[in-house]
Amino acid sequence: MAEVDNNIHRPAGERKPWTQDQTRAQFSAIANLRWRIFRNSLRRKGGMGDLVAMVIMVPLFGLMIIGPAVGAGVLAGYFVHQGEFQYLVIILWAIFLLAQLTSIQLGQPGTTFDPTQLIRFPLNFRGYAAVRVFFGLISPANAVTTLMSLCMAIGITVVEPRIWLYAFVTMGAYALVNIFFTRMLFIWVDRWLSTRRAREVFTALIFTFGMGAQYLNFAFNPGFHSGHKHAQALTATRLAAATGYYHRAEPLLALLPPGLTANSIVAAHAGHAGIFAAEVLGVLVFTALFFVIFAARLYKEFRGENLSDVANAVAKTPARKHVAATAIAPAAAPSSLHFSPPPTVAAVLAKEFLTLRRNTGIFYALVAPLIMVVLFANLKVGRVSADLLFASAVAYTLMGVAPLAYNSLGLEAAGIQFFFLAPVKMRDVFIAKNLMNVGLALVEIVAVFCAITFIGKPPSALIVLSVVLWAAFTMFVSLAIGNNRSVTSPKKVDIAKMAKNQTSQLNAFISIGVMLVAAGVGAAIYAIGHFLHRPWIMPPAALVLAAIGFFVYNYSLGTMDQLLADHRDTLSETLCKA
Amino acid sequence: MTPAIAAQSLTRTFEGGFTAVDHIDLAVEPGQFFGFLGPNGAGKSTTIKMLTGLLAPTAGTVSILGEDLVSNPIEVKRNIGVVPEGMALFGRLTASEYLNFVGRMYGLDKPTTRQRAEELLEFMGLANEQKKLITDFSHGMGKKLALAAAVIHNPKVLFLDEPFEGVDAIAAGTLKAMLQGMIARGATIFLTSHVLEIVERLCTHIAIIHRGHIVANGSLDELRAGVQARLAPDAGGGLRDKLTLEEIFLATVGSEAGVTNPEQELSWLK
Repeated sequence: MAEVDNNIHRPAGERKPWTQDQTRAQFSAIANLRWRIFRNSLRRKGGMGDLVAMVIMVPLFGLMIIGPAVGAGVLAGYFVHQGEFQYLVIILWAIFLLAQLTSIQLGQPGTTFDPTQLIRFPLNFRGYAAVRVFFGLISPANAVTTLMSLCMAIGITVVEPRIWLYAFVTMGAYALVNIFFTRMLFIWVDRWLSTRRAREVFTALIFTFGMGAQYLNFAFNPGFHSGHKHAQALTATRLAAATGYYHRAEPLLALLPPGLTANSIVAAHAGHAGIFAAEVLGVLVFTALFFVIFAARLYKEFRGENLSDVANAVAKTPARKHVAATAIAPAAAPSSLHFSPPPTVAAVLAKEFLTLRRNTGIFYALVAPLIMVVLFANLKVGRVSADLLFASAVAYTLMGVAPLAYNSLGLEAAGIQFFFLAPVKMRDVFIAKNLMNVGLALVEIVAVFCAITFIGKPPSALIVLSVVLWAAFTMFVSLAIGNNRSVTSPKKVDIAKMAKNQTSQLNAFISIGVMLVAAGVGAAIYAIGHFLHRPWIMPPAALVLAAIGFFVYNYSLGTMDQLLADHRDTLSETLCKA
Repeated sequence: MTPAIAAQSLTRTFEGGFTAVDHIDLAVEPGQFFGFLGPNGAGKSTTIKMLTGLLAPTAGTVSILGEDLVSNPIEVKRNIGVVPEGMALFGRLTASEYLNFVGRMYGLDKPTTRQRAEELLEFMGLANEQKKLITDFSHGMGKKLALAAAVIHNPKVLFLDEPFEGVDAIAAGTLKAMLQGMIARGATIFLTSHVLEIVERLCTHIAIIHRGHIVANGSLDELRAGVQARLAPDAGGGLRDKLTLEEIFLATVGSEAGVTNPEQELSWLK
C-alpha cells in the first residue's frame, strides 16, 4: 500500500494530495461498515427472527424469480426458433414491468444506513456516485432484471448459437438500462415524496394505476369470461381495439429500450452487424441518459440538501394566541346517561383518527380491496351464490385491515416516549388502536355487504351473522398477536420513503399465516354446514370461535403493560432512532 | 492572512420561501475559538451545515483555509472535523468500529486509525463500552463519541454544534481541556452552544445570529462595549461595567426573540 498521509495537520504547502489508495480504503471501509451493521443487527431483540424470516424468504423469492426467468429464456428461444421475432419485445417489456413491480413490492437496495451521511467525509462526487451505484447493485429488482436477461440470452444462444455474442451483448445492455432506469426512477420518487402533498398525489397515482391494471385484467383475461359468449365477444372486441392502439404506437415503442433490444436481435439474426451496433448503441444512450438523471439527483445530495416538510413548516410560525382564563373549561364530569370510552382511550382514538386521516396510503389500502370486490362481484354475480361471494369478499378485505395491527406503534416514532411518560395504561392505548382497526374492519364489512347487495342480491341473514362472528374471531386473534408483535418486534414506519418494508418480515409472515389459518377454519365451518345441509351450525360455531378469540384478546390486553415494560428498550431503540 | 473560515453572502432559502440564513458574511481567523450564538431557529445549525458541506447554500460562497468548498470538497473536508446537530452516528456499530470506520474514511491507515481510536476511547472514558452498540449509548456518551470521531484525523478546523449538550461535568471539563489544547496548537474551533457560560469562558470571538442575520460580531469586549453604548443613554447610569455574555445576548436579541416579561403569568397558573 502506498504511503498514507496520517498527519493532515500541516501547512497547506506541505499537504500531500489525496491518493487512489485512500479512495480504495474508503470503499473498503464502507463495505466493512455495511457488513458490521448487518452482523450487529442480529444482536438486537427480534434480529434472529428477522434472519430466520430472511432465510425462508430469500430462497422462496429465488424460486419465484427462477420460474419467470427460465420461462423468459424458453420463450425467447422458442420465438427465435420459430422466426417470430416480433414477440421478443413482449418478453422484454415484461422484464421491464416486473423490475418496477419488484422495486415497489420488495424495496430498493438495502440501505442499512443513510448513505447521504457519507457526504461529510472527504469523498469527491465521483467517489460518492460510485459508492451509491456499486452498493445499490444487490437488490431484488436488479436480480430479476439480470437473471431474466441472462436467461433470454441463453435461450437465444441455445437455438441460434452463431449469434451468442450478440445475444449476450444486447441482453447485457438491456439489463444495464433497466438497472439504471429503476435507480433513477426511485431516487427521484423519494425526492418527490419528501413532502406530504406529493406523497398523497403519488399514492393516488399508484392507486389509480393499480386499479386500472386490475380492471384490464378482469376485462381482457379470458379466464374470467369462460362460458359467457357475450363476455367473450366483448373481450375479443376490446382486445382488437387494444391491438389497434398497440400497432399505432409501435413505431414509437420501437425507439424505446425493449424495442431497440428486440430489433438488435433481429439484426443480429439477419447478419446486419451495423444495424445491431446502432440498436445497442441506442440502448446504451438510454442507459447514459438514465444515469445522468440519476447522477443529477446524487449531485444534489452530494452538495447537501434538506428534504422534509420540517424546513417549510418553520416559515409558518403561527401568531401567538392569548387564551383567556374563561376559555379553559373544567373537565366534563362523566355522564351516567351516555356511554363514553375512558378519556385515555378517547384521546388515543382521536389521535389515531387524525393519523389515519393524514395517511392516504392506508386510505387507499382500505378502498382498493373494496373496488376489487365490486369488479369481481360484477363478473361472478349469478354464477356464484351471494353467500359465498360475501364470505370470500369479507375474508379478502380483512387481509388488508388485519396486518395494520402488527406494527401499531410504527408510526409513533419518537412519540412512543410520551406513552412511557404519561400516566396511561398501555392496555388503554392498545384498546384505542384496536378500536380503530375494528372500526375499519366494520366499515369494510358493511361496504362489502352493500356492494354485493347492490350488484346481485343480499346474502342470507344466517351467513351474514356467521361471517360477522368469524370476522370478530379473526380480528380478535389478529389483534392479540399483532399487539404482542407491535411491542416485541416494532419497525419505524418511514412514510417519506418509497417501497420500504413497513413491518418486519417475520410480522408480515405471521399476519399472512394467521389469516390463512382463520380462513381455513371459516371455510371448514362453511363446508360442514353446507355439505351436511345444516347451515344453522355456522352461527353457533362462529360464536364459539369469536368467544375464544375474545378471551385470548382480553387476556393479551392484560399483559400489555408488563410486555411494554419488558421491551421498553427495544421500542426506544427502534422507534426513536433518527 | 487567509481566514480559517470565510463565508460571503451565505444564504439558504428552503422550499416554501423561508430564508433561514440571509446573506451573512463571516471571517474566522486561524487559531480563534469562535462562538456562534443565536436563539432557537435563528439559523445556527443551518449555517454550520452550509460551512461543512452538509447543506448546499442557495447563494454565497464558503472557503476553509482558502479552499473553496464547492470546487475542492475533498481538501476542505479532510481539514475539518464536525460534530453535527444530530451527531450522525451509526447506531448499529460499536464505538471502536465507528472510530475505525471514520478514520479510514479520512484516509488514515489501519494501524494509525486503530491506535488513535483506542487512545480516544480511553480519553473519552468509553474504553469500557467496547461491546456496546452505539444505539445503546446515553446521549452524553454519544456526544463524546461524536467528538472523538471529529478529531480522529487531527483536523485544522473543528465545527461543534452543541457539543456540551447532555455531557456530564467531568466529561465537559475533559472536553474543554482538549479543545483548548487544540487551540493552543493552532487549530480553529467554531462552536455553537446555548450554554453561554461555556462560550464566555472558552471563546475569543463571538457572533450572534438572529432571524438569519448576523446582529453582532467581535470579541467579548467589543460586544460588551457595543451593548453598553447602545443602552447607556436609557439606563441612566444603571448599567454595570462588566456585562455577562448572557446579558449581552439578551440585550441583543432578547426583545426581538419574543422573550416574555418575567412578570407575565399564565392565567391558569394563578
